[in-house]
Amino acid sequence: MAHAAEHEYTTTGLSNRKMLMWVFLGSDCLFFGALIATYMVYRGQSLVGPYPVDIISVPVTTISTFVLLMSSFAMVQALAATNADNKRAIVGWLLATAFLGSIFIGFQIFEFNSFKNEGLTLAGNLFGATFFTLTGFHGAHVTLGIIWLLCMAVLGAKGRLGPGTALDVEILGLYWHFVDIVWIVIFTLLYLIGGFDAGPVALPGG
Amino acid sequence: MQSTSNSNRPTGRRSSLKKRTVMFGLLAALFLFVVGCSKDGMSTWEAFGPVAQLQLDLFNVTMWLMVIVFFLVEGVLLYAIIRYRKRPGQPKPTQIHGNNTLEIVLTIVPTILVLGLGIWSVFILFEIDAPPEGSDPLHVNVTAHQWWFEFEYPDAGNGKKIITANEMRIPVDRPITLSLFSDDVIHSFWVPKLAGKLDMVPTHENKMWIQADSDKIDEDLPVTLFGQCAELCGIAHALMRFRVTVMEQADFDSWAAGYSEPPAITDKAKKGKQIFAANCTLCHTIDGPDDPALSASRLKGFLTGADITPVPAPNLTDLRTRQTLAAGLMDLTETNLRAWLHDPDGIKPGNYMAARAVLYQGGTVTLDEDQIDALIGYLLDLR
Amino acid sequence: MATITGVIPRPTTYAGVWGWMTTIDHKRIGILYGLTAFAFMLLAGLEAGVIRMQLVSAENDLLGPARFNQMFTMHATVMVFMVIMPLSASFFNFIVPLAIGARDVAFPRLNALSYWLFLFGALLMHVSFLVDQVPDAGWFSYANLTEKPFSPNRALDFWAIGLLILGTSSVAAALNFVVTIVNMRAPGMSMMRLPVFVWMTLITSLLLVLAFPVITVGLIELTMDRNFGTHFFIPSEGGDPILWQHLFWVFGHPEVYILILPPMGIVSEVLPTFSGKPLFGYPFIVFSGIVIGIMGWAVWSHHMFTVGLGPVANSVFTITTMLIAVPTGVKIFNWIGTMWRGAVEFTTSMMFALGFVALFIVGGLSGISHAISPSDFQQQDTYYIVAHIHYVLFGGSIFGIFAGVYYWFPKITGRMLDETLGKINFWLLFIGMNLTFFPMHFLGLNGMPRRIYTYSAEFGWENLNRLASLGYIVLFVGFLFFMYNMWQSRKSRPAGHDPWDAPGLEWSISSPPPVYNFAEIPQVEGRDQYWIMKAKAEAAGTPLTEPEALIDVNTVHMPSPSYWPIVTAAGVALIGGGLLSHYAISFLGGAITMMGVIAWSNEPTVAPSDQH
Ligand code: HEA
Ligand code: HEA
Ligand code: HEC
Ligand code: CUA
Ligand SMILES: [Cu+2]
Repeated sequence: MAHAAEHEYTTTGLSNRKMLMWVFLGSDCLFFGALIATYMVYRGQSLVGPYPVDIISVPVTTISTFVLLMSSFAMVQALAATNADNKRAIVGWLLATAFLGSIFIGFQIFEFNSFKNEGLTLAGNLFGATFFTLTGFHGAHVTLGIIWLLCMAVLGAKGRLGPGTALDVEILGLYWHFVDIVWIVIFTLLYLIGGFDAGPVALPGG
Repeated sequence: MQSTSNSNRPTGRRSSLKKRTVMFGLLAALFLFVVGCSKDGMSTWEAFGPVAQLQLDLFNVTMWLMVIVFFLVEGVLLYAIIRYRKRPGQPKPTQIHGNNTLEIVLTIVPTILVLGLGIWSVFILFEIDAPPEGSDPLHVNVTAHQWWFEFEYPDAGNGKKIITANEMRIPVDRPITLSLFSDDVIHSFWVPKLAGKLDMVPTHENKMWIQADSDKIDEDLPVTLFGQCAELCGIAHALMRFRVTVMEQADFDSWAAGYSEPPAITDKAKKGKQIFAANCTLCHTIDGPDDPALSASRLKGFLTGADITPVPAPNLTDLRTRQTLAAGLMDLTETNLRAWLHDPDGIKPGNYMAARAVLYQGGTVTLDEDQIDALIGYLLDLR
Repeated sequence: MATITGVIPRPTTYAGVWGWMTTIDHKRIGILYGLTAFAFMLLAGLEAGVIRMQLVSAENDLLGPARFNQMFTMHATVMVFMVIMPLSASFFNFIVPLAIGARDVAFPRLNALSYWLFLFGALLMHVSFLVDQVPDAGWFSYANLTEKPFSPNRALDFWAIGLLILGTSSVAAALNFVVTIVNMRAPGMSMMRLPVFVWMTLITSLLLVLAFPVITVGLIELTMDRNFGTHFFIPSEGGDPILWQHLFWVFGHPEVYILILPPMGIVSEVLPTFSGKPLFGYPFIVFSGIVIGIMGWAVWSHHMFTVGLGPVANSVFTITTMLIAVPTGVKIFNWIGTMWRGAVEFTTSMMFALGFVALFIVGGLSGISHAISPSDFQQQDTYYIVAHIHYVLFGGSIFGIFAGVYYWFPKITGRMLDETLGKINFWLLFIGMNLTFFPMHFLGLNGMPRRIYTYSAEFGWENLNRLASLGYIVLFVGFLFFMYNMWQSRKSRPAGHDPWDAPGLEWSISSPPPVYNFAEIPQVEGRDQYWIMKAKAEAAGTPLTEPEALIDVNTVHMPSPSYWPIVTAAGVALIGGGLLSHYAISFLGGAITMMGVIAWSNEPTVAPSDQH
């Protein structure tokens, strides 16, 4: 990440890159919105199993959701450490965030795998297709975030993060919190509300 | 048109020329309008039934309103550019920035206009949604296939079930309720003289109704109307047409009663019947309504199969009573039927009879002229 | 990681092909966008010609149905995504930074990336011609015709993946412009002082940012259906083809405003200049643009009136759609108000702007008649719609863009276009356009469905089709005049910095503008800043003359060129190309993209060799 933009003049006083991230996240909202809409439209439309009630395990995912939430907390600490110019804490919190994110991804890999073993596949039924697509794209976002966190941790280890570059950490934080919030929505809709869906409802027009 | 001022901007001075051009343009548009509207086969300018009539009335009102708006706005525009064109030596115009009262008026007036039209069309929407209460509609199930239409009368009279293709017969002055289905991709059912279109979507059942009124049709019955699939549905979309024949209830009843397999009494027809059974029944049915299990297996073949599989095909039981061939594409004559059997792909590129029947896999039909002759004799009940 | 930038030194040349390939100067990128899009316009125009030739007579057998379907699909896809959008982007790039008094866009390298993604995405889709598997399901490619059983070859994959890349490009560009416009304005340039073109750019960019993700999801689902065995749109497995229509049109309707708002912005610059008066009702024009941008989200189902959503849904969308006439009318009335009591000069640019207003009204009014859903049941999927499309897109967008070309060409190249040729160009397009598309209203109402490659003579459509095809020839000649006009401008009169006595800041600097745009960032005191400056100077008795070049260019730090945008874009294109051919290529593309991104983020904005 270049740091040429530190003293840039902007009309609003907001940094360009931060605003870029905000607008991008707006765009991403619509992206997840459309994926979630697809999922909701196809709730109860799968012709064959497995259905959510057969395989979704709310307790397990509650744990991973909690882990992801904690990672957001770590992210906040990382930013605080950056502003406080505490070099060791920066690296520590960044790594902690990445680590918690990785645990979440680990849970997801485990979940995908066990679902696959229970017969849920992309091609098997609509539940599989919509579930894997939605959570898969979310997982990809988290993975990207982890890579980004690690890169930043490297920079931090080299001593290149501090109050002067807090913006870099802040933008990463925006992204990370966004990905978390999206997960809360997904968790609510797919697990808490949709997790007990059983077989197909009557198809329109028989 | 270059001006002489030393500004490098030319100015328009030939406004009389411009006026004449404009007048000419208006006249040309008017002329076009007069010659433009036709009432030919597919035209929407003529309504033979209540649904189409309401739609046409609504459109006419909308259109004339829009024509008025058009002339008003374009007129003011023209006036402005002619009246306020730059004249040599003219001082800089007064710098006006706006006028709020004007803005508000010009916001409210169009709002009232469009809301008025919009609300009226909502009423019409609900009015054309279902046939009037207490009427005795005839029900028809229409299923679209790539690239032909199937018409099923669950009860064409006296409990008789009829399946036919590409030509729908309807009694005059009676509401017809339609259930629209599709077996493959999205198609659209459209008989402009009777009603606007409605799509035929796989797994959805769409419902509409039509009616032909005898007092709106000034020809003698039976009258044949044109229909066309109006949603891009693949390679032969343009050739996916059909006909609707409006007839007296009595004629309809006698057609329904007489609907049956060709009798095959001549030797030629008997031979034809055999050839048909050997080559065609994989896909076509000829002895009345389809057997649902058979239809299902044909559909499965169609959706999953490669070459040489059964596919859903028009029910040919009543072919001899029809007027057209290959989804309303051409008149049903001996010559045309022969041409069709020789080379369906040449007539309707891409169709599934040529693509999936064993007979045509080598490029040319494997039947000889005699056999084709016999088939024609049988199908058309030539005696 | 830093070694990558260490090994490959930062490009330093600004000249030659390399200079253009590594450029991150918004003006050069604008020119690249413009030229590329124009080339695609000729291609799509030729495809339209093929369509018109086929339809010139009943039962014509010049083309088979397969080719015909390919022609209108590519004609429309190219016109929408590779002509009008990038032509607008071309103006965004060239004009917006100049008009707000900035030295460049907020993210110059991202900007370059957008261009290269656009170029590669467009080329990738055209590879389909080489393998003869050309997309053929129409520009909105309704599922489930697009699914494997009905479109077994690669055509729809080319379409979907090409569009995914083009979409990425558009979103990247739009993000950039949002930030640029919000954040890079010269001091004093408050939002309500922004030129209307910039406002429309901002609204368009926001629409792009929000609308494209929706189609992206649709395209991803389609691609997965076709390649990974999912069943999003396959009815026999429970999928619903109507979902595609919703996803497409939730994007598709905002998209048509994406296509018209920038030309509306252009016209809002041209009309005041050549009326010698400021724009009438500036706040109303701006707010109506915003309102259109918002309302555009609530009307998508007017493309689906005949799908069978039922009378309730149709009523709702009828009313919301009708209401869009109101803010659009506000714009029209204010444009007329701008000319009222003005001094209207008939330059070619102005004539195109007037043509825009005149023709857009026709298209808008036919749009209103589509919005009346009961009568739209008769019109949907007929040539009446085709007429509407072309009045708003050709009479609207293209005419607006032509107005912009004639207006800003002197600024971009420093040369004048010939006015006589320009007027011939205008009249040919104006007459040709009406000749081609006006008869289509009647064709449609006479029952001619769209997307048919042949029709039978008994329907009486032949004469009007002849007329339409004749009109195409006039259009064709019109385009030749335009091309000749561009060509001859090489030797034409130098333009000077302000040939039109225009109000915008971009006219205060020399033509073509220097790399750094503004020697000194201007201080903005009001709307139409350059008029203000000129009036002040006039009053002080020292009229403004040709701006002077900077004495020492080195005092301005401009970002240096970079290889990485084009490399990254190539990587992304390879990922797409790999999905179409062999996954190994995708991995290669992925690796190249990674390399590009890493090198990019390690690259200082200003190369060491350029630092002083
Ligand atoms: C630049 C692109 C553009 C623009 C700006 C518009 C503008 C409008 N469009 Fe259009 N439209 C398309 C591009 C565009 N459209 C395309 C490409 C399609 C076809 C897609 C396809 O199927 O391939 C389409 C299709 C389309 C349909 C679907 C038809 C069908 O398939 O059945 C409808 C239906 O409502 C519609 C309506 C409108 C309306 C109401 C407007 C309004 O915004 C127009 C508003 C403008 C005016 C009304 C004129 C000016 C106003 C006044 C002078 C004030 C006074 C007026 C009144 C009081 C009425 N359009
Ligand atoms: C941006 C929008 C845009 C533009 C500008 C145009 C421009 C034109 N369009 Fe198109 N059109 C669409 C968008 C556009 N169209 C869309 C969205 C559809 C719907 C598609 C669908 O159903 O999926 C459509 C569909 C469409 C159809 C209906 C097809 C059908 O339904 O079967 C027709 C038919 O006439 C047509 C014709 C034309 C013509 C004659 C032009 C002319 O204006 C073209 C003018 C251009 C030229 C005349 C080019 C001149 C070229 C040269 C001078 C080159 C010579 C030089 C060299 C070779 C170097 N268009
Ligand atoms: C593989 C399946 C298949 C076989 C075998 C087949 N057909 Fe067809 N046939 C079709 C299909 C599909 C159509 C509809 C084509 C279209 O209009 O798109 C059709 C259409 C027709 C029509 C026009 C029907 C109409 O409603 O206008 C006739 C007549 C016909 N076939 C006769 C025959 C005869 C006779 C044979 C045997 C020699 C035969 N077909 C064998 C599939 C088949
Ligand atoms: Cu069926 Cu078009
Ligand atoms: Cu629309």
